[in-house]
Amino acid sequence: MTTNRTQASAVQADADVGTGRTVGKPGRRPSKLRPFSGVWYVMPSLVVIAVVIVTPILLSAYYSLTDYSLLRSPSWVGPDNYRTLLSDGAFRQAMWQTLVYTFISVPLQTVLALVIAAMVARRTRHRFGAFVRSALFIPVIASMVIVGSVWRYLLATDHGLVNTVLGVAGIDNVNWLGQPVTALVVVSLVTVWKNIGYFLVIYYAGMLAIPNEIYEASSIDGAGGIRQFWSITIPSLRPVTLLVVILGTIWSFQVFDLVYTMTAGGPGGGTVTLVMAIYGAAFQNMQMGYASAMAMVLFVIVFLVSFAQRVLLNRK
Amino acid sequence: MLKRIADLGVNGVLLLLVVVALLPFAFMVVTGIQRADTVSLSFDPDRLQLDNFVRLFTDYGFGRALVTSALVVTLACVVNFVVSSLAAFAFAKKPFPGSETLFWIYIATMMVPVQVTMIPLFVIVRDLGLLNTHIALILPIINAFGVFLIRQFMSNVPDELLEAARIDGASDRRVFVAIVVPLIRPVLVALTVFTFLTTWNDFLWPLVVISDESMQTVTLAAARLQGRFVTEYGLVMAGATVSFLVPFLIYLVLQRQFVQGVASVGLKG
Repeated sequence: MTTNRTQASAVQADADVGTGRTVGKPGRRPSKLRPFSGVWYVMPSLVVIAVVIVTPILLSAYYSLTDYSLLRSPSWVGPDNYRTLLSDGAFRQAMWQTLVYTFISVPLQTVLALVIAAMVARRTRHRFGAFVRSALFIPVIASMVIVGSVWRYLLATDHGLVNTVLGVAGIDNVNWLGQPVTALVVVSLVTVWKNIGYFLVIYYAGMLAIPNEIYEASSIDGAGGIRQFWSITIPSLRPVTLLVVILGTIWSFQVFDLVYTMTAGGPGGGTVTLVMAIYGAAFQNMQMGYASAMAMVLFVIVFLVSFAQRVLLNRK
Repeated sequence: MLKRIADLGVNGVLLLLVVVALLPFAFMVVTGIQRADTVSLSFDPDRLQLDNFVRLFTDYGFGRALVTSALVVTLACVVNFVVSSLAAFAFAKKPFPGSETLFWIYIATMMVPVQVTMIPLFVIVRDLGLLNTHIALILPIINAFGVFLIRQFMSNVPDELLEAARIDGASDRRVFVAIVVPLIRPVLVALTVFTFLTTWNDFLWPLVVISDESMQTVTLAAARLQGRFVTEYGLVMAGATVSFLVPFLIYLVLQRQFVQGVASVGLKG
């Protein structure tokens, strides 16, 4: 699981904001007398969120308009950093690679999680299904750091397990992480391997919510398993699919640990992602201002994706 | 007959998937407990040894890192729950003028990725002299998400229950501690599991605020091993095994809660 506070799904639940009773309703005497007494309960979290999230996001926007370098105090440069971003080849490469990574991993993990969930939910006996779910969940609880380290060795050119297995089939050793294109594809596939268990559980929960009568009725009409999957399961799970796609996309744009431990951005910058570029600019080159401009780009992307989910869900 | 063959086929595919999911972990453990010059899955009892693990604790400070991680995770879970449930109580059961607007702002802050606030937060932490401290490690764990999750759950607690207690003379504080908190136990478990996993596995933020090796977390220690040794497969895999062991053992015990927690966080949250 990626460390993130961005729960895209969180956005969907604003539907019931405001269901809390309003002040002054009969039987709410304490509130009526002291309408602000609830404020004290909010205070601790309000302070933390103001210090840890709200102030930093405002500061980040400010830094992005300065040449802040940690060593000197920030001086105003206006939109210069953003202008530089547009023509910065390394940034464009990082952006492009993040997009490729997203376009490989998100569709694949969504489709696979859906299909596996359907196999677990409908076709097998309960105990076996539960075992499969538990086992596929284990990569989810492992950190990206572990996943990156282990897969790096599994993919080693000379004695790596992957090449050994392929060798049996007569395929020559491939230098998976030594070439930019295969490295990016492999990192995306490892992400799929890691995330499937998570989305499988979400899909599985969604499938349990579909009434069994629909399946029974369609069975009487003569529909087979595959037909039911297309005509009942997939349409009923549309909101879940939206959630899985959005969450996967947001995680993709935030990828760091996995790439850092698997390829360190190499070879030749071929797997540098957006967050790696931000980290490098800020903490290796001390360009806090420039890095903040990249961070604001990330912020806008993630915000728009979350926002899109809300609009799409509300329209339904 | 055809259906039985199909069922068998599906079971076979699922078993294969289980193998693919677990094999890397088997490789990790097997490499960690062997004297390994090469990377392979072969297991030779003669080369079995726990040297790698001993070295982790004697030479690379894994004991201390385990203590730091345990402390940080415990603190993060407790603080996150206390702070979030208090706020959720106000939002769900004690609204005040402007509380709806405030809740909207809370939801908006959930759309801010940690990687965006990381740079200014680093500057703030540095200016406060908190680099290389436990407090720095815990800071970004507390966010609006816990408030949101618990609030959803608290809204289902019937108001009548709280009214009855109030009529009996209970103060808000007492209503909260004696009635609301016991009722939200399931969401407490979900939030704790979620906080535990993200804190234990966190990497980027510790990498940024911890430079002193005596303050590193287990995940950070495991990653640093890999950066240092390109070819000491056994040692690096032993480090990964130690870092994985705690979440894995807790997962074995609390499987249901883990899966339900993550699912509910994903679905409702």
